[in-house]
Amino acid sequence: MPSTPQLSPTEEQEKLLDEALAVVKQQSFQMKRCLDKGKLMDGLKHASNMLSELRTSMLSPKNYYELYMAISDELRHLELYLVDEFQKGRKVADLYELVQYAGNIIPRLYLLITVGVVYIKASELSRKDILADLVEMCRGVQHPLRGLFLRNYLLQCTKNVLPDVEAEGASESETGTVKDSVDFIQLNFAEMNKLWVRMQHQGHSRDKEKREQERRELRILVGTNLVRLSQLECVDLETYRKVILPPILEQVVSCRDPIAQEYLMECVIQVFPDEFHLQTLNTFLRACADLHKDVNVKNIIISLIDRLAQFAHKDESVGIPSEIQLFDIFSQQISTVIQNRPDMPPEDIVSLQVALINLALKCYPDKTEYVDKVLETTEEIFNRLNLDHLEHTTAVSKELTKLMKIPVDNYNNVLTLVKLEHYGPLFEYFDYTARKGISCYIINNALDNDTQIPTQEQVDAILGLVGPLIVDQSDQPEEEEDPEDFMEEQGLMGRFVNLLLADDPDQQYLILNAARKHFGAGGNKRIKYTLPSIIFGAYKLAYKYKSIAEEDEKWEKKCQKIFSFCHQTIGALIKAELAELPLRLFLQGAVSAGEIGFENHESVAYEFISQAFSIYEDEISDSKAQLSAITLIIGTVEQMKCFGDENHEPLRTQCALAASKLLKKPDQCRGVVTCSHLFWSGKSKDNNGEEMRDGKRVMECLKKGLRIANQCMDSSVQVQLFVEILNQYIYFYEKGNDQVTVAVLNQLIGKIREDLPNLEANEETEQINKHFQNTLEHLRGQMESDGESKYEGLTL
Amino acid sequence: MSFFGFGPSAEVDIVLEGQDTRKTAEIKTEDGKKERHYLYYDGETVSGKVNVRLKKGKMEHQGVKIEFIGQIELYYDRGNHHEFTSLVKELARPGELTGNASYSFEFIQVEKPYESYTGANVRLRYFLRVTIVKRISDIVKDSDVIVHTLAHYPDMNNSIKMEVGIEDCLHIEFEYNKSKYHLKDVIVGKIYFLLVRIKIKHMEIQIIKRETTGSGPNTFNENETIAKYEIMDGAPVRGESIPIRLFLSGYELTPSMRDINKKFSVRYYLNLVLVDEEERRYFKQQEITLFRRADRKKGHPDNTSKVTPGTQKLGDSTQ
Repeated sequence: MPSTPQLSPTEEQEKLLDEALAVVKQQSFQMKRCLDKGKLMDGLKHASNMLSELRTSMLSPKNYYELYMAISDELRHLELYLVDEFQKGRKVADLYELVQYAGNIIPRLYLLITVGVVYIKASELSRKDILADLVEMCRGVQHPLRGLFLRNYLLQCTKNVLPDVEAEGASESETGTVKDSVDFIQLNFAEMNKLWVRMQHQGHSRDKEKREQERRELRILVGTNLVRLSQLECVDLETYRKVILPPILEQVVSCRDPIAQEYLMECVIQVFPDEFHLQTLNTFLRACADLHKDVNVKNIIISLIDRLAQFAHKDESVGIPSEIQLFDIFSQQISTVIQNRPDMPPEDIVSLQVALINLALKCYPDKTEYVDKVLETTEEIFNRLNLDHLEHTTAVSKELTKLMKIPVDNYNNVLTLVKLEHYGPLFEYFDYTARKGISCYIINNALDNDTQIPTQEQVDAILGLVGPLIVDQSDQPEEEEDPEDFMEEQGLMGRFVNLLLADDPDQQYLILNAARKHFGAGGNKRIKYTLPSIIFGAYKLAYKYKSIAEEDEKWEKKCQKIFSFCHQTIGALIKAELAELPLRLFLQGAVSAGEIGFENHESVAYEFISQAFSIYEDEISDSKAQLSAITLIIGTVEQMKCFGDENHEPLRTQCALAASKLLKKPDQCRGVVTCSHLFWSGKSKDNNGEEMRDGKRVMECLKKGLRIANQCMDSSVQVQLFVEILNQYIYFYEKGNDQVTVAVLNQLIGKIREDLPNLEANEETEQINKHFQNTLEHLRGQMESDGESKYEGLTL
Repeated sequence: MSFFGFGPSAEVDIVLEGQDTRKTAEIKTEDGKKERHYLYYDGETVSGKVNVRLKKGKMEHQGVKIEFIGQIELYYDRGNHHEFTSLVKELARPGELTGNASYSFEFIQVEKPYESYTGANVRLRYFLRVTIVKRISDIVKDSDVIVHTLAHYPDMNNSIKMEVGIEDCLHIEFEYNKSKYHLKDVIVGKIYFLLVRIKIKHMEIQIIKRETTGSGPNTFNENETIAKYEIMDGAPVRGESIPIRLFLSGYELTPSMRDINKKFSVRYYLNLVLVDEEERRYFKQQEITLFRRADRKKGHPDNTSKVTPGTQKLGDSTQ
């Protein structure tokens, strides 16, 4: 025996299909030839031969579909021919009976349908009876695949001939009403669904997946019935409610097949109008509760909710009729669904609540109580399920997070959010990471929307809500968090403080106090990000009091209170072993106090600056930090006007002393030189706030600076310092300090000129040289514009 | 009949009265061909003319007669024909014919109790036989007619309803709307599946004709499947009900015949056959009675011939 090459299953299928199609081609050709010659009976015979190809059990659903399409194309010829003949009056008596002599049921029924439809189109016999007969006779095909396609053929052929009138017409052949069409389609639908479901239980269990795939490919055949029902124009709401929906749902529920249930419920939602859905929600949702446990009922309900929510949004004029308690219905039915399904995964339960909350927000944007109700229900469910500290990586945590974010996104207002009684408690069910994530989300939302928080209660509520950003949590992981992330989060909180704004200053004070309490508990890591914002907020508030001084007679007392609040708050930062930050905050406070000028402000300012000095002395040990700190202090003292000599004197002396005590010579030099300004532009109350302009003392400082510079070993640094000091000389010269003379300038310039070339040629030297040249340039410019009078004798 | 040039000296021809308007019917011959003859019913008068045409000038004869014969031929007993009807009319007394002659005859209201039939082992035929008795060999001319027996609608025509099955395997209930069908009737029924534990591939209805000849130990049964009609494709599940509608006019059927002259019977059975995926067959035979209903033209009442859709809805008997 010659061995035939083994064909792969796909090739095998292709071969079978090709063979079948070849027969179809041949027989349909013969059929058409016979019809052309008017030999109807022979034509039918060939049609029957062609149809016999559909008896095959060998083809996959996809290929069977191909074959079916080819054949139904050819059958259209037959139909057209017959309609034509009937119209010409050449009727074939008893054709409806004749085609039933065919011994095999598949060809017989295809022919019967074809002829039946011709009879209807030609107004032979009663339309109603033919339809009823066809759909009944199709019961003979119990093979799922063949039955599905046969009934699909029935559905396609009858598409345009279904009665769609309220009452029967006068014509004897045009019998039937829309009710008959409904019965017809319902029966066909039920039978097709049964066949479709039956496919699931055929064959070997190892082919289950393949079978399910095949079934999904065929689902449209079943769904077409529902489409057809939805296309009947005479179907009104009452009909839908009474005779369309209940049988469909009964069929869907009773078939107990997850694939069918999932698809058909979705189908119902999609094909029928929203107005119908609105009026039949209870029925539909009750059926959802009865679906198979493997059905993803949440998707169905969500799909319905989405549609209705969209519908409510689509057109203002229509909207959701007020008599329909959409939310209540869904809420109640969803809870039934959940109760009926003890195995439903919690994430699905939450998904349903997500849908519900979306519905509430879209359809009833004003009713926060609906949203709250959803949250309450969710909480109850979690409580019942004994779930808490959900890990943020789990599906349920992700879903729940989604749920929590929806009100945030929809309201874009944290104030509305904190009105929801059951929002906060739900936080308890998350783990730390998730809680923090949502907290950040909420704070970001407030920042993006610039939502101001005007009362202490609201501040308490919000800060209570976003606890993970405020204080350490008991379930916080041991290991350190990513420092950058942490900084970013705390930065958010720092920014958020700026949103804590009341209209009334007294209220504002309370708010700041409240915030201080919350943030104060945040630990050393956090307070450096958050407390400064509060302190600045407090300074701002003090200015505010100053501006309303005429309305509030107690403003000075209040300012004092504010400053002592700030003092204490900065103290907290010092306790957190921070130095530079509190130092700066003190200095800022001193400036503010000085500017506001309330009763006792001088001693407050003095206290603040002396506190800064203490920090400088006790806490700052790094030389660079020391220099920048002392520079800041000097700058602050220099610009303050509120001090009398009694206070100013020790302060500037202290500055000079501190500067000269700096460890490194270059630092010393710079510090001392900077001090010179204290004696020039420093202002004392005793001097009526005028600048002191003590040229001599200035000169002393500069000379001391030069002396220290001379002590520097590093010639490069030395020259750099000289250039810097030269600039200072020039500054004071130009300001009119008569102690500074052109000779001094010439001397210094000469010294620099002398030293500069000896420096090693490198980038640093380059910079120094540039600085120097710029300085000379400046001088040249001055000389030219002043006509040499001022800088007379200067040698450049 | 012309041997050695001595052909019959006369040709005989039988012309039936009203031949132009009389209906004809077809019947199979033994060798399977079909013949068409004039059709008579029970009690109808058979009359006409016998024409004798002489080939020569004159002919002597011992008498001329015509017989109306109904007989049953059993193929295994060729020699013996069982005549159940034999009527004779003398057309001419012995004498001499000098020219062509024509004789009228009339068998008034002849009883024709059985239907003409050609089966596998038996044949029932009616014919007219003209015999011109001669001294050496008679001149004989036979002419077949066909008889259809008509039956009125039976008064009792119950549906056939039965539950059958194989324990724990298959239980079905079938129902045919009647037990007696006329030959152009339509069998309407349904099969209801009460229990299905086998994988059925398809189901068909067969019409089986059983011809019984002989009696006692010499009884012969001949079964012939007249029709095979697929009524279901695929495997049903419990609760399915499958419609049956089978038009009988598409098949070659005769009325049921019971113990015709104690010689033979023809019975019909509906055989419901279920075939499973292993090609095992499950079947149930049920006898039905077929009868010939008078055509409407004859003025017989017509109960249900016109088949319209919806016929499969069974009558009250199903409820």
